[in-house]
Amino acid sequence: MSSERRGQLRKRYRLWSGLLSAAALVILTVAGSPIQQSGHLLLLLGLGLVALLAELLLIRYPLWYGYTDRGIWMSVSTPIVTAVILLYGWQLGAWLDALVTFGAGLLTARLKQSRLRWVWLNTAQSVLCAAGAGAWHPIAGISPIESALASPLSAALILLSTLVMYSLINTFLVSITVALAEGVRLRWVLHESLLNLPRETLPTFPLSLLLMAMLHLYGFTGLLAVLAPYLALRQAFILYTRQHELYHQTVRSLGFLIQRAHPYTGGHLQRVAQWGRKVAERLGLPPERCELVYEAALLHDLGKTVLDERILNKPGRLTPREWEQVQRHPQLGAEILISVPFLNPIVPWIAYHHERPDGKGYPYGLQGDQIPLEARIIAVVDAFDAMIGGEAPSQQRQYRRALSIEDALKELRRGAGTQFDPTVVSVFEQVVQEWLPLSRTMRVARSE
Amino acid sequence: MVGEQRVDSIHYSLLTIRLKWIMDTFGIGLSIVLVSVGALGYYAFVFLPAQFHRWRCQSLRAFAKAIELRTQGRYGDTDLLVRLALTVSARLGIEGEERKRLELAAYLRDIGMVAIPYALLNKPTPLSPMEQLTLARHVEIGAAIVEQIPGLSAVAPLVRLHHVEYAVQPDAPLSAHLLAALSDLMEIAHHAGYGAALSALQTGAGTRYHPQVVQAIEAALQAHPLENWAPLRRSAALWVGLVLYPLKDLTRLLVELTRY
Repeated sequence: MSSERRGQLRKRYRLWSGLLSAAALVILTVAGSPIQQSGHLLLLLGLGLVALLAELLLIRYPLWYGYTDRGIWMSVSTPIVTAVILLYGWQLGAWLDALVTFGAGLLTARLKQSRLRWVWLNTAQSVLCAAGAGAWHPIAGISPIESALASPLSAALILLSTLVMYSLINTFLVSITVALAEGVRLRWVLHESLLNLPRETLPTFPLSLLLMAMLHLYGFTGLLAVLAPYLALRQAFILYTRQHELYHQTVRSLGFLIQRAHPYTGGHLQRVAQWGRKVAERLGLPPERCELVYEAALLHDLGKTVLDERILNKPGRLTPREWEQVQRHPQLGAEILISVPFLNPIVPWIAYHHERPDGKGYPYGLQGDQIPLEARIIAVVDAFDAMIGGEAPSQQRQYRRALSIEDALKELRRGAGTQFDPTVVSVFEQVVQEWLPLSRTMRVARSE
Repeated sequence: MVGEQRVDSIHYSLLTIRLKWIMDTFGIGLSIVLVSVGALGYYAFVFLPAQFHRWRCQSLRAFAKAIELRTQGRYGDTDLLVRLALTVSARLGIEGEERKRLELAAYLRDIGMVAIPYALLNKPTPLSPMEQLTLARHVEIGAAIVEQIPGLSAVAPLVRLHHVEYAVQPDAPLSAHLLAALSDLMEIAHHAGYGAALSALQTGAGTRYHPQVVQAIEAALQAHPLENWAPLRRSAALWVGLVLYPLKDLTRLLVELTRY
C-alpha cells in the first residue's frame, strides 16, 4: 500500500469516526430529556448494572468436539437492550446501550488491549443501532408499538424485527469501520459478517422474548429472575465444555502411556486411528461411533503398558512362554479401561482386536459375527500398518521384513475371510488407494 | 445409623418449612420462579462441579489400574486407599479443594512406575540399596508426568511428596503426610496383613510418619475395621443423580442444536 493511499484512508477513517460520534451525541441529547421527564433514571441505572454484568459474563459455546478454543461468543446485553427499546421507548434503549457498551469497554479495555478511541467508537455505533432499531417502526408506519404488544404473537414478531434491524445496522457500521481501519474492501467484510449474522442473532431471540415478558410482568425483579438461570446455564455450558476437554485429555494421556511402554514409530497409533475412523465412516457407522473407533484404535494396545518391556522389545522370536504373556494384552487393556465409565463402549473392541473370523485368534477364539465390527476394523488396520513396517522399525529389521503397500494389500486380500473380515478389507483397500498418492508426495518431500 | 436418619428427617422438615415460608411471602407464581432458580443454581454450582470431580477421578482410575496390574497389586488396592484417605482426611480437617487434590493424588501417586523396569517392580527377592534408589525415582518421574497434564499441575506437589518422611520434612502439607502413611500402610498390608501394617505405622509415628496422621488413621480404623469395609453408601447420591440426569441431556441437546 502506498503512503498516499494510506494517508487517504486515514483521512476517511477520521471523517467516518467524527461523523459517527457527532450522530451519537445528537441522538443522546435528543433522547436525554424524555428520560428525565418520565423519571426512568433509577430504572436506567439498575438495568445498566444488570446488563453490564451480563455483558461481562459472555456465553461461549463449543462448536466442535475437541476444539474448545473456537466457538461463538454470545453477548446478552443486546437482548436486554431490544426488550427495553420495545417496552420503554428507543430513548431509554439508546442510553442504556451507550452506558453498557462504554462501561464494559472500559472494564475490559486492558484484557482486550483496545484503546479508549475504540471504546468510544463502539459506544457511538451502539447508540446508532439502538436508535435505528427503535425508531424504525414509527418511521415505517407499522402499527404503534403499544397496541402491537397487546397480543403475544405480534409482540414476538416486532421483537424479532427489532433484533434483526439492530444487528443489520450494527453489521453495516462495524463493517465500514473495519474496512476503513484495516484498508480492506468493504464488500469482503460485509460478505463475511452477513454470513455470520443469522447464527449470531437468532439464538438471542428466545432470551430476548423471555426478558421482555419478565420485564413487562414483574419489572426489574423479573429481569433478575431471568439472569439467575442464565448464569446457571452458562456454568453448565462451561462445565460441559470442560468435561469434553477432560475426555480428550484422558484419551491423549493414555496414548502417551502406550507410547512409553512400546516405542512405536511416532505415526503408528495416529495412522491406525485415522484409518480406523475412515473405514468406520465408509461402513456407514454413525459419527459418534466413528469418533469412538478413532479413540479405540488409538488405545488398542493399552494392555502392553502392563507387560514386561523386555518381551515387547525383544528382537528375536518369542518363546512360547513369552508369547503367552503377549497374548494377554487385549484382556489387560480391557481390564484397565473398564474402570473408566465413559470409555466403556470401547472395552469389547479392545478385548477382541486380535480375534479372527475363522476362530483362530487370541485370547478368546471368537468366530465371525461374534466379534464386534469395530474390533474387526481395528484388526485389519493394525495388521496393515504393522506389515508395511509402521509399527516398530527396530523389529522389522530383525525377523520380519517390511512389505510394500501393494504386497501388504495382497496379503490382506489373501487373509480375507480367514484372518480378516472381507467387507472391512474391501472398504479399507479404497481408503488406502486414496491415501497412497498423499503418502508418496509426503515421502518425496521428506527425502528432499 | 439412627442418628443419621434423624438428622435427615430434621433436614427435610426444615426444607418444607422454608418452602412454605417462601410460598406465603412471595405468592405461588413468584415462588415457583424462585425455587426453580434455586434448583438450577444448585444444579450448576453444586451438583455439576461435584459430578465433574467424580468424572475426573474415574478417568484417573484407569491410570491407577494400569499401575496396579503392572506391579501385580503389591502396592495395594487404590480404590481402598482412596476411600481410606477420604475418611481420614475428614478427621484431620482437610477439606474443600485440598481434599479434592488429595483424592486425585491418591489415584496418581504411583504413575511414575510406568518408567521403572518391569523386572525391578516384580522382583520376588528383596531389593538391593541400588535398586531401591531406582524404585524411589518413581516419585520424581510421576510428579513430572502429572505436571505435564493440563489441569492437574496442582496435584504434582502432592505426588512428589507421597513418600515424604516426617523427620526430613515436617513442614510438608498434612495431606502429603497422610498419603505417605497410607501408601506404606497398603504396601505392608499386602505382604504382612493389616495388623502388621498398623503396628509398623505406630512404631514409625514421630520419626517416619506424622504422629497426628497416624492417630487419625488408627481412630478411623477403630471405628470401621478394615476387614469389613462395606461398599460406600451411595443410595442418596444415586437417587439425586437419577432424578437430575435428564437435565444433563437437556444441556447436551442445547449444545448439539447450537452447533449447526
